[in-house]
Amino acid sequence: MKRAAILGIFSVGIGVYCLLPYLWFALTSWKSPAELTAIPPKLIPSFHWDFYRSALEERGLLRYIANSIIVAGAATCITVAIGSVAAYALARFQLPWTRAYLLLLLAISMFPQIAIAGPVWNLLNHLDWLNTYRGVVAAYIALSLPLATWILTTFFHEVPHEIEEAALIDGCSRFQAFYKIVLPISAPGIFTAALLVFINAWNEFFFALIVLTDPNLQTLPVGIALFPGEYTMPWGEIAAASTLATLPLILLTLLFQRGIVRGLAAGAVKG
Amino acid sequence: MVYVRKFFRSIALLFLLAPGYSPAAETTLRFVTWKSETAQMWDQPIADFEKQNPGVKIIREIGPQSSTQLHDLITQKLKNRDTEMDVFVMDVIWPAEFASAGWALPLDRFFALAEQKQFLDAPIQANRYRGQVFGVPLFVDAGLLYYRKDLLEKYRMSPPRTWPELVEEAKTILAREKDPQLVGFSGQFKQYEGLICNMMEYILSNGGNLWDDQHLVSTLNRPRALEAVRFVRDRIIGQIAHRGVLAYEEPESLVLFTEGKAVFHRNWPYAWNVANDPQRSKIAGKVGMMPLPFFPGGKGVAALGGWQLAISRFSKKSELAWRFVAFMASHAMQKRVTLSTGRAPARAALYSDREVLDQLPQLKSLWEIFKQAVPRPTTPVYVPLSNIMQRYFSSVLALPHTNVDKRAALAARDMDRVLDLVREAPAP
Amino acid sequence: MRSSHRLALLFLLPSLIFVGLFALYPIFESFRLSFYRLILNLPWLGQKMVGWENYVDLWTDPVAAESLRTTLFFVVTTIPLELALGLGMALVMNEAFRGRGLLRAIVLIPWAIPTVVSSQMWRFVFNDRYGLFNFVLFGGDASRYLAPLADPTLAPMAIIVAEVWKTAPFVALILLAGLQTIPDELYEAASIDGATAWQKFRHVTLPLIRPALLLALLFRTIDALRVFDLVFVMTQGGPADATNVLSFYGYKKIFAEGMVGYGSAIAVGVFLVSLILSLAYLRVLKANRLEGTSR
Repeated sequence: MKRAAILGIFSVGIGVYCLLPYLWFALTSWKSPAELTAIPPKLIPSFHWDFYRSALEERGLLRYIANSIIVAGAATCITVAIGSVAAYALARFQLPWTRAYLLLLLAISMFPQIAIAGPVWNLLNHLDWLNTYRGVVAAYIALSLPLATWILTTFFHEVPHEIEEAALIDGCSRFQAFYKIVLPISAPGIFTAALLVFINAWNEFFFALIVLTDPNLQTLPVGIALFPGEYTMPWGEIAAASTLATLPLILLTLLFQRGIVRGLAAGAVKG
Repeated sequence: MVYVRKFFRSIALLFLLAPGYSPAAETTLRFVTWKSETAQMWDQPIADFEKQNPGVKIIREIGPQSSTQLHDLITQKLKNRDTEMDVFVMDVIWPAEFASAGWALPLDRFFALAEQKQFLDAPIQANRYRGQVFGVPLFVDAGLLYYRKDLLEKYRMSPPRTWPELVEEAKTILAREKDPQLVGFSGQFKQYEGLICNMMEYILSNGGNLWDDQHLVSTLNRPRALEAVRFVRDRIIGQIAHRGVLAYEEPESLVLFTEGKAVFHRNWPYAWNVANDPQRSKIAGKVGMMPLPFFPGGKGVAALGGWQLAISRFSKKSELAWRFVAFMASHAMQKRVTLSTGRAPARAALYSDREVLDQLPQLKSLWEIFKQAVPRPTTPVYVPLSNIMQRYFSSVLALPHTNVDKRAALAARDMDRVLDLVREAPAP
Repeated sequence: MRSSHRLALLFLLPSLIFVGLFALYPIFESFRLSFYRLILNLPWLGQKMVGWENYVDLWTDPVAAESLRTTLFFVVTTIPLELALGLGMALVMNEAFRGRGLLRAIVLIPWAIPTVVSSQMWRFVFNDRYGLFNFVLFGGDASRYLAPLADPTLAPMAIIVAEVWKTAPFVALILLAGLQTIPDELYEAASIDGATAWQKFRHVTLPLIRPALLLALLFRTIDALRVFDLVFVMTQGGPADATNVLSFYGYKKIFAEGMVGYGSAIAVGVFLVSLILSLAYLRVLKANRLEGTSR
């Protein structure tokens, strides 16, 4: 079947594009120290677990992963909670300044993070929130709210009014209508927004670097960035840590890929 | 839905209740430094100090390894007058900046001149600014030349004393060895601080300078500096060193050497141990080490590196902080760390200590080199000047057809503008 | 009406607090600082209000001009590549076939990997002695190996490759969502009319995914103008300032050199460029929306 063959070729091509650099790095993590920087490079490693052991034991990789999960998880939950409530108001209450507010949020996301890092650090210092989870999470919430609000507002626009109005007539409060009716219907949208926020928070590096200097609290990107020694570049450990760090994400995406796509699609349904 | 709510709630709770960092009831001292490869560098000494000083706890904060990133982190705390940092490490190029900005505590009342003389001269000079001392040196580094003893012996060459000699020897060896993967020289020429260390070694060994500290003008566009830069561009990069060195920091350049693919190599003292370790190097036992070459008419110059301890001016526990600093820099502690980590200490006496020399014989040769090590000029505006110089060096080395004179003139003009800012600097 | 507005404000309150404190206040602070001369390690110079001086300096600064060129080149190259690759991937993923779920999951991997990790990975791939890039091109013949990160012409390309690798999947997802909303009936009607695959693409697919395309374009442009992590890890702005994008230049000024006033002006500059481009996009988007509804 020609169609199947063409699709097959393209699929393999896409798969190679996405996986090859990552696989190369993952294979590196199993090399022995000598093979690591062999010139020319060796393709198949002899399966050494040294780097994994070193990354886990001596570098505290698990603690970094745990911190990342806590920080990204908290940021996601709170952002989605706050954002969905705000988006509902923007979508339903016909406020005259809705468009202006959304554009303001867009404008905020245009500012380079390096410039606001200084004042944010200052603010966190005054609040005594440096080197705490809540400090870095607060920063992440502010960074992610624009995107989350935009996506959620778009979703809520698409939800039909009828069911809600029926409930309101029956005596439901606005909040109950939101909580019990609109939210469940918009689950795909909420899910999408949550995923985007989570991945942004998971990947974020700069704020985490300057806010979290206590090794017990550092997140994964900061932890990996600190692997390099003063004059050494531990490629092996970095490769091992990176492989371990991205495995949970890969599993998550494998499990939820259908939901993700459905979520992104549902937002634009209304031809 | 119920589960979703429960999940939300538990995450929110976890995050609100999870501890931030709350210091314990005992006296604590916060120490910011980079993470070390071995526990003997910081962890062990800290544990010892805590044992000797019951009731005191040292909280170690880890910063990035790269000197530039660590600098940015520490200055962030200092510029906001963070009282939570007491002791921190300084790279050898920071003391002037930190002194002038009022971030580092002057240590003269603790660190007497007589005591300062116990340390190597160059690091102490790097820690002084306008008549006061702002840091206590712990470790010293200086640029060295490494070479393949076996290859030089094979072709009956003695180690080169001048740069032109080095180029000739490298060329001859490359021609005779007929190994397409072998290169003559490996150094650090990426656009970063290490580039300044490498280039200053060429410029100063030709009798030139980076800038004139007395008159606060740049000297990059003077003949001797231009000559040295031209030499590197025309005779080294792309000739005996492949162009890849323009992206090399220390690790990559060292790997080239330890894989046996380079005849000569410029690096810091740490490379000696790595190159002679059979686990990590293919040329263990075939390595020689010597002071860097110079240009005819000049003398050898090694860029000074190293780390010192400083006390934050905003710390509320300066007496206790000094006790910690003095402990780390004491003869006994320095000896112990040197023996266990192999890093060159800042105390002069250790270079004639029997025990130390037995275990680390290379310290004897390092002693001579350290005596002629030159710090990069000390000024509060070192970082902007360094960025301008990095830009200039990287441009002329990476783009071989640029006009060196023109670029040097532009760089000098920019440097002069920055140097003008410090003309009326008051004493700190 | 007013009570519902009050209720709306209540709903919006938490958002407003966070956005106000942690986003608006720092941005205003940045704006304010850009009008001062503030050099951290020279405190005796004080914090002097210098009005537009920083902006004038920025306008005449050759390094900043070069940096703007580099940044714009980066944007102009990555966006079309991402859109093209993303669209291609989305089209394949839109078809129904076995293993589609697995492919979709694989496609998400580059995006899910932290930028810090992927930049190290690409640095490793582009290494001039033991990197995959050279191995694929020249095999074991190490004498012909290239050094992309050491060459001022190739280094920007390396950064672009690393960026596109990571973000094309994100674009693919957004476009896939757009594709999924196109009802099958339209394709069937086109088939009945005798349209070829290419014609179907041009006249059915493209017009109907325009909103999704523009959304992807908008967000990706804003992000591309602020690229930082990749440059920070892979090249630190070099060689010869070839990858010195505006965000990185601003970072060096603020954090490394302590020239907070000037660095803030650079940040405002990036913001303005973003704003201009976004307004342009939105104008096109609005025009399109009008077109769509009037049909």
